[in-house]
Amino acid sequence: MLKVLGWVDRIVGAVLGPVVVAGMVALTFVISLQIVSRVFFTSVTWTEEVARFLLIWITFLGATLAFQQGRHIAVQLARDSLPANLRRIVIGAGILVSIAFLATLTWIGWRYMDLQSFQRSPSLRIPMNNIYLVMPVASGLMAAMSCIDLVRLLTGDTTIRDRMRDVVE
Amino acid sequence: MSLVLVLLFVLFLLMGLPVAIVIGASTMAALNLGDVPLMVVPQQMFAGINSFALVAVPMFVLAGDILAQGEISKRLIAFADSLLGFIKGGLSVVSVLAGVFFAAISGSGAATTAAVGASLVPELKRKGYDPASAASLIAAAGTIGVVIPPSVPMIIYAVIAQESVKSLFLAGFIPGVAMGLGLMIVAVIQGYRRAYPRGTSLSLKTIVRTFFAASWGLMAPLIILGGIFSGVFTPSEAAVVAVNYAILVSLFIYRDLTLRGLYRIILRAGVTTAVILFVIAASSVLSWTLASWQVPNAIAALALSLTDNVFLLLLVVMALILITGVFLETASALIILTPMLLPLAAQLGIGTVHFGIIIVVGLAIGMVTPPVAINLFVASSTTDQPVERIARAVVPYLAVLIVVYLMIAYIPVIFAN
Repeated sequence: MLKVLGWVDRIVGAVLGPVVVAGMVALTFVISLQIVSRVFFTSVTWTEEVARFLLIWITFLGATLAFQQGRHIAVQLARDSLPANLRRIVIGAGILVSIAFLATLTWIGWRYMDLQSFQRSPSLRIPMNNIYLVMPVASGLMAAMSCIDLVRLLTGDTTIRDRMRDVVE
Repeated sequence: MSLVLVLLFVLFLLMGLPVAIVIGASTMAALNLGDVPLMVVPQQMFAGINSFALVAVPMFVLAGDILAQGEISKRLIAFADSLLGFIKGGLSVVSVLAGVFFAAISGSGAATTAAVGASLVPELKRKGYDPASAASLIAAAGTIGVVIPPSVPMIIYAVIAQESVKSLFLAGFIPGVAMGLGLMIVAVIQGYRRAYPRGTSLSLKTIVRTFFAASWGLMAPLIILGGIFSGVFTPSEAAVVAVNYAILVSLFIYRDLTLRGLYRIILRAGVTTAVILFVIAASSVLSWTLASWQVPNAIAALALSLTDNVFLLLLVVMALILITGVFLETASALIILTPMLLPLAAQLGIGTVHFGIIIVVGLAIGMVTPPVAINLFVASSTTDQPVERIARAVVPYLAVLIVVYLMIAYIPVIFAN
């Protein structure tokens, strides 16, 4: 059971890595195209829109990947100074808070996407729910990974995502 | 409701939850108690990051990460050494100058610290410099990375405060140089006290030679900043130009970057920025909520009801910024503080750009103050010195940075235009 969960967890990371890189490369490409076309030809209007949408996708999927790698910014000084038993309880409570938040976000993200299904982007006329889809997907994945963390904590597995101190800026 | 929000925020933060979840979960709970439809959460989260100006964040992080590794940083440091190495304790003065050079290429404090630290610390050790002290100076110089443009925190501030990125970038030059000069003065004094050796003797020939050797690196800020200030590129476009330039130089001219290495750098930059932007997304819900409860205005009114002494109030605001920077990482602190303090700053007669410099420099200083001190951690991992020793050695540099900080805040004629 734990083995399967760990396997699922790693697959999420392995799939999201190339996706985030592809997003970054596409972002670089689109804006390079914008500069080249403006300087040498006539400016294209859709590149800014695509760049903003790519940024939204990179943000949510990259945040999911960061979650999988335990790389989100967190202040763990207070928690880490607790005695071991109490710390387990606090970590458990934290995971429950995360699950509650991320599950709600999945649900309202999905409803928001539904509500906006008639809206189209101003320049390319893309249906906006294609862009908004990333929120329920990302928060759903993060909620699932939190559940894996909870199972690990309850079974005493120590491979919990505890590398969140890798502060980046 | 505000009380519930504050209590949950502090509780979740202390529990060690990721900052984005701390902000999102506490805001969502408070909104729910206030019977506000939760649909505002996705709406504001998307609105917060649906911005072309923010595209500059991943691109500047990526460009800085590529340029920070390998040959470019080595040659820049050799050039800095030819200019200032002749001073007593010259190598430590050089590490500050290298930090200033790098600040004009990179938009982050950690990247600046890493770039200078990785190439200079072995040399500093060999020449008998105290390693912890050298590492702490490099960490302190790393704070300049977010003050001299380009700067990731300035972009974030500009987006929140609806100010132009360009004017913030312009205003960052003099404060950044002042921080560098302050650190150099301390380094020279220490050089005499500790009888550090002189380095490379001053010769025009060496300066010219190392200048040309470093020209690919020195050209990067010219292209990035020249492009922005001349109006050829928007900051976001300039960031992409910088990425293309960095890739071309590293792949084809210095050939010190493999495609596999490039993939890894892109992945790291993508995740790094996603973490920041996810916090921004969550915070825009928080800012929306606070604004709809009129909290920022209430803060301004409360502060002004206590005293109308502008000098004193600014001092309190700066203390608040510094303290927040001690306990929170730069981007999160910036995103939370900016909307709350902007109305007060306006009441105090501080312009949006000047206030941006005050908040960015204050939080930059937070990068060398433990417990949350990214530059000290980076310096520690690149030099194998324990963080505790580096943290003790950083005190004189911290003191001079705070002096410069006060000057930046109280002498706007020089430091904000």
